Amino acid sequence: MRDVAIVGVGMHPWGKFEGKNFIDLGVDAVAKALADAGMKWEEIQTICSGIFIWGGNAGHLSGQYIASVFGETGVPIVNVYAACATGSSAMRTAYMSIASGQVDVALCLGVDMSPKGVLTAKSDNPQQDMDVLRWRMVGMSNPPYWALECKKRMEKYGTTEQDLADVKVLLSKYGSQNPNARYKKLYTRDEVLDSVMVCDPLRLYEICATSDGAAALILCASDKAKEYASKPVKVAATTIGSSIYGDPTLRISALSAPAKAEAPLLSESYSASRQAYEMAGIGPEDVDILELPDNSSWHYLQYLETCGFCGEGEAEKMLAKGDTEIGGKVAVCPSGGFSSFGEAIGAQAIWQVAEVVTQLRGQCGSRQVENARVGMAQTYGLMGNSGTTILEV
Amino acid sequence: MSQQEQVANAVPAYPGLFTEAQDGVHLMSARCGDCGTHFFPKNHQQHRPGCSRGPVDEVLLHRKGTLASFTTLHYMPPKPFKTEKDITPFPMGMVEFPEGIQVVGIITDCSQDDLKMGMEMETVAYTLYRNEDGQSVQTWGFRPVK
Repeated sequence: MRDVAIVGVGMHPWGKFEGKNFIDLGVDAVAKALADAGMKWEEIQTICSGIFIWGGNAGHLSGQYIASVFGETGVPIVNVYAACATGSSAMRTAYMSIASGQVDVALCLGVDMSPKGVLTAKSDNPQQDMDVLRWRMVGMSNPPYWALECKKRMEKYGTTEQDLADVKVLLSKYGSQNPNARYKKLYTRDEVLDSVMVCDPLRLYEICATSDGAAALILCASDKAKEYASKPVKVAATTIGSSIYGDPTLRISALSAPAKAEAPLLSESYSASRQAYEMAGIGPEDVDILELPDNSSWHYLQYLETCGFCGEGEAEKMLAKGDTEIGGKVAVCPSGGFSSFGEAIGAQAIWQVAEVVTQLRGQCGSRQVENARVGMAQTYGLMGNSGTTILEV
Repeated sequence: MSQQEQVANAVPAYPGLFTEAQDGVHLMSARCGDCGTHFFPKNHQQHRPGCSRGPVDEVLLHRKGTLASFTTLHYMPPKPFKTEKDITPFPMGMVEFPEGIQVVGIITDCSQDDLKMGMEMETVAYTLYRNEDGQSVQTWGFRPVK
């Protein structure tokens, strides 16, 4: 296996873009990544693209539809899906193509345009698609899954409504300084606590929205990276995790979970992050920047523990002490997180990596994390999907 | 027996998930004879690694368990969830059964303020809406044991 670096990043801003289609957004992100790397399209030797599930056949072949705009060259195109960890799968596939020596340059991209309103079932066929049952029988969209886990956390560790609100306050501070964010308003604790209760104890501003967005990365064999980037960012690890038997998390899509824990909560993310630490030869104490999947305020707190940044039940303390702020122990979501961007299923994992690259290059202006050397991007997808990427300069 | 009487007055919104026994409503589970894991739904098998995957026997869960977590939903879930009218806000929760499995469901027959972690709950049938034949279309639900 040989070393791999990221030499180009591009993103279409996050928001709602009715009237555009996913190809428009994807092409924009890819064009920006190519320009960033100073690379010609014809130099791309493979394409790993996130499947856009709401786009029918075209969305499931997103790589082909976007590639045809730039000019078809016959290179391998692989389209992947792993729910909200889709981009992690694309990233790992791109990485492996280069690390294995098969190609020198790979394009990795993800684009999503979420349908209006709350996401819902993708079929009406429970015999094949067991996911339908949670909607039809219980009305379980995603937020109740998070609320049920959050309520357990409050009972176990004494997490307060103020803690949940403070997550949003901090993230809004960073999102307000990020030109690509969808939500740029600064919030106070009272404003968050005054927002509508969606799913007790989670309020409207404590749950991420669904957005449209696209992001692209260009990966390159490290020994050729200097041809494209003055400051290549090394991919120290990129991993995929799946669930471990005995995980007590009520995993999205499922209707049941084991009562007795024989594995860590969010075991798929535990697995992905531990694989990544081993691959990179570092630990959480070495990480300067962490982009975690803050689908809700609960996720922000839980992921600090799942990824080993503190012990169980200690995340609220980290937040209160300022350990997760820019300038603290580890800058958590200095992008503003999903809280400021919203979820764009197929794109968000790649966007997270792009944000970390931008930080490690020192291009983040007022929200720059000083002297950042190591950054980590952590994803979370339904039914036991997760990915971790660790980057170094 | 008239034609009308032959039609059951209640049907599940999807079969094979819960059933009415003599002592009341039970969730339909399955248990692996090798690894001992209980599944719900019964065909969502999640065996322990190394298990020979069987034999898997269909079993009913206990009617009663304890409330492991709960929330109140303040927005109507999207289709394919269907009820006669807007039922928000309504509680839903996870009930832990003696078999070592937690199952999620709508909570009924109580006020949200009555709910406490760890309280005893029982399984019931919950009517979502009436179909064209006048039958109650049902799912499972939970309520505090009185």
